Amino acid sequence: MTTAIPSTATVYTHLLRADLTTLWRNRRASILVVLVPTIILISWKGLVEKFGGAFVLSNCITVGLTAIGLMGYSNMIARDRDKGIFQRLRVAPASNWTIMASRLTVQLLMILIMTLVIFIVGYKFDGISISAGGYIGGLLIAIVGGAVYLSLGQVIVGLIKNPETVNVTTRLVYFAFIMIGMFGELGVLGKEIGEAVKWSPYGTVKHIVSAALIPSTWNEHSWMALLVTLGYTIVFAFWGIRWFRWNTR
Amino acid sequence: MNNSNHTSSILQVEGLNVYYGSQHAVRNVSFDVRPGEIFGLLGPNGAGKTSTLSAVEGLIKPNAGSIHVAGFSVREQPLHARANMGVQLQATSFQSELTISEIIKLYAGIYGVALTKEKIDSILAGIKLQDAANKRYGQLSGGQQQRVSLVIATIHEPQLLLMDEPTTGLDPQSRRQLWERIEAMREKGHGILLTTHSMEEAEAVCDRIAIIDHGKIIAIDTPQALIDGHRTNPEVIRASRKGKITLEDVFIGLTGTDIRQ
Repeated sequence: MTTAIPSTATVYTHLLRADLTTLWRNRRASILVVLVPTIILISWKGLVEKFGGAFVLSNCITVGLTAIGLMGYSNMIARDRDKGIFQRLRVAPASNWTIMASRLTVQLLMILIMTLVIFIVGYKFDGISISAGGYIGGLLIAIVGGAVYLSLGQVIVGLIKNPETVNVTTRLVYFAFIMIGMFGELGVLGKEIGEAVKWSPYGTVKHIVSAALIPSTWNEHSWMALLVTLGYTIVFAFWGIRWFRWNTR
Repeated sequence: MNNSNHTSSILQVEGLNVYYGSQHAVRNVSFDVRPGEIFGLLGPNGAGKTSTLSAVEGLIKPNAGSIHVAGFSVREQPLHARANMGVQLQATSFQSELTISEIIKLYAGIYGVALTKEKIDSILAGIKLQDAANKRYGQLSGGQQQRVSLVIATIHEPQLLLMDEPTTGLDPQSRRQLWERIEAMREKGHGILLTTHSMEEAEAVCDRIAIIDHGKIIAIDTPQALIDGHRTNPEVIRASRKGKITLEDVFIGLTGTDIRQ
């Protein structure tokens, strides 16, 4: 009756298949996550001429990334932890990082889908067309930017155990990011807040996505924004992993 | 206390200590589970049963002591140890979006067991759930959930099966079926470690029992030996209500009558 342990790849594949099935069955929630930036994109058609297509696309992608990291990822983790799903997986021969890698892969897929939807809707409804390099760069930088919000979501589920409280908190943070980020950047909230927003997780992500969409505009500020973005990711991920508990007891 | 160095043991727990902050939840606990044995871990609420079980499952890191499953250290070779144990948690939950057959397939995959659709159908037929393959876990009754949970815990034919209060919330029919399945596993040579609050069930099915209280094992033996050994204990006699000494009387006599939090 000796049992051999399956390879990490086998375990990961089975977990990923289950997580993708879960994502598909929860597609209504996924559609909602993509819907908000899509609506903003369509309603901002008038701003394309004034601020440029990259500005509009990058804002919408950043809003989508915020929604995926804060509302999608953290709520899913909080719910599965509360239900004891993680505990059940952890008593099987699946390492902790394999369980999390599968979850994160699903979120990365969501980021790619959301970004592609924004590109398509931007092209079809707002007439935004950028170079092939811009589309590829935008997709890649969206993943980098998405990592900030995934790690911020990890901080929230690390600090808060109750899934209801996680849900409320992520909505509040999401709302605050969108409102302060978008309006702050447009200068509606004053110069000081506008400057602070520029170096906030919203501002830096928005900037690098915007610059990646038009590679010729990538400059020193973009490199600095990229570094700050990576810094946020590392700090949030460190504390998020450190504070995270696999059960709610 | 005996037997902490039984060489043919499937599970060996030695000198286990678990702290939660300043609270010493498990104190120097040692026991073993042998092949073809049902070993019951009994104790009042908060006595340290679930903490002990959680340490064996690898869900919590003990502060001291060693745990070996099928010869593998839970701390140093956790995946090997877990591959040799099946676990039925007190509150098991599976992904609510997945169907029963998808859940079985997922866990079979994690344990490295290849299952065809026909095999899954035959497994479900074996637990009288052939019509539930496409149902979600949450749509099943408590007894049906328990059967699915047990199937998943044993899908890889583990040497050791851990069950935390497996009969809680089950009706008599489901409970009877569950015990029959557990006893069938014992016949096949699996070692089973379980916790339960049902003294009657423990007395009827367990080959050996450890009574744990305030984190310490205070008695460990066969049910009959525990009864015989404490027949003259005044506390046990005081706890006796039916004229004859039962395992429950021994349990109450040893752990007291106070209700625990």
